[in-house]
Amino acid sequence: MDAVCVEHLSRDFGQNRGIFDLTFSIPEGEAFGLLGPNGAGKTTLIRHLMGFLRPKSGSCHIAGKDCWAHSDLVQKQVGYIPGEIAFFEDLSGIEFLRFIENYRGVFAVRQKELLERFELDPKVKLKRMSKGTKQKVAIVAALMQDPQILILDEPTSGLDPLMQNRFVELIREEKERGKTILLSSHLFEEVERTCDRVGMIRAGSFAAVDTIETLRQRHLRSYTVTLESEEKAQAFARDFSGICNGTCVTISARLSLEEIFMDYYGGGVEQ
Amino acid sequence: MNKALFLREMKKSAKLLLLFAAVITLYVSCIIYLYDPETTEMLNRFVEVMPELMAAVGMGTIAGDLLEFMVSYLYGFILLIFPMLFCILRANGLIAKYVDGGAMLWLTAAPVKRRKIAFTQMTVLVCGILLLLIYTTALEFFIASLLFPGELMLRELLLVNLGLLAMHFFLGGICFFASCTFSDTRLSLAVGAGLPTLMFVFQMIANVGGNLRWIRFLSAFTLFDPTGLIAEKTGAAMGLIGLLLGGLLLYPAGIAVFCKKDLAI
Repeated sequence: MDAVCVEHLSRDFGQNRGIFDLTFSIPEGEAFGLLGPNGAGKTTLIRHLMGFLRPKSGSCHIAGKDCWAHSDLVQKQVGYIPGEIAFFEDLSGIEFLRFIENYRGVFAVRQKELLERFELDPKVKLKRMSKGTKQKVAIVAALMQDPQILILDEPTSGLDPLMQNRFVELIREEKERGKTILLSSHLFEEVERTCDRVGMIRAGSFAAVDTIETLRQRHLRSYTVTLESEEKAQAFARDFSGICNGTCVTISARLSLEEIFMDYYGGGVEQ
Repeated sequence: MNKALFLREMKKSAKLLLLFAAVITLYVSCIIYLYDPETTEMLNRFVEVMPELMAAVGMGTIAGDLLEFMVSYLYGFILLIFPMLFCILRANGLIAKYVDGGAMLWLTAAPVKRRKIAFTQMTVLVCGILLLLIYTTALEFFIASLLFPGELMLRELLLVNLGLLAMHFFLGGICFFASCTFSDTRLSLAVGAGLPTLMFVFQMIANVGGNLRWIRFLSAFTLFDPTGLIAEKTGAAMGLIGLLLGGLLLYPAGIAVFCKKDLAI
């Protein structure tokens, strides 16, 4: 069974904003990346999955349950990192995590481990925390109860590169452990390093949904260069990781996701 | 009901309750202390000299015994305004503020139905009103027994305060409904605070009398009639029941709206 299943989901906010007839699914255990510029509809899609918005047409299901009608059952399995984080500003980090633990009614098995992993001191009041520290609290809150499905809306925003790396590692581990992951991002590297498939969303519709590998293949360019001698050819092949065949060297340039992305978007970002 | 949420919100209510309890303590003890035939005569002279102004703040009736005195000087203004302020502030903070600020996402992104969230918040509001009025009743009875033993009939006091409770239960319902309906705190406050305040102003205008007495039909405060309740009049009882029914309609309506609406959080 698909862990996440979205069918013909539409939501028109007018002036070409919203999402239009989105259909896709994420099988259990897959990491799916959602890439798109600001205002493309990533967060709107996620809000539907979270049961914050009621589908105007179409439907979305998580673990076979309707995201709007049975949001409480859906939420049992979901860990969510919101794109815009607003906390109960009156609490400290640890008070907040304790509240979430009690409120959701599930023991936070991984809290300690995650706090250590992100070097987070949770005793500080939330309103005194920097953006990055708040982001860490949100990450811990989403993952501490070890949910089966992760919905992550730009989860590394505000984190420094070191912490971004730790987060990517964590997500890879989670995938190894069989979690289903939906990761929305505009960081190409993050998606490239964690996801199996990518949906490129533009103006509320998918411009492409494919595996990272296929996307790369489609945009693979290879060049064959002939050099004067075999020695030079071998050296050249070594330097540019090409395939040497006599004096001929074949080099493939794999486009980064960013370049592929710009291909689909034609450089400029439209509304 | 969600216990963790209930406890958190009751803790937040506590500060406001303490503040209002302190203000009410001050006024109630002062007013009861002032009760003595001579000052009553003085206050009555005020009423004779400037009947409109005194009537506007609900101090129109010429007071006889202690409870009537209290009805004149506490139940027309102080005990209407302060619990009403509590309703307005708390109701707005329980739903609309969380939606507007975005923190509602932590409550909805959890295996807790929206109905349960809203029901918990409603319970917090109603418990707050109940606590404030139980405190007020106990305080009134305590101070009256201390200063004027045997003057205050508990049964009559309870009847009046039951009416007051119904009044604030209804006002809380308006505030709660507004809080559930509007995702913008400004709108929630405009309706949740504006409507009760407007009705209170209407009540003040109607109390002055004259050509504008009809305006009392636009105010729910008309349904709270302490003097009628003491006399156990049917009309006053009907008013009380009306307020209770209104509240019983408004709270579930607020919950239903909250369950169905889109949350941009």
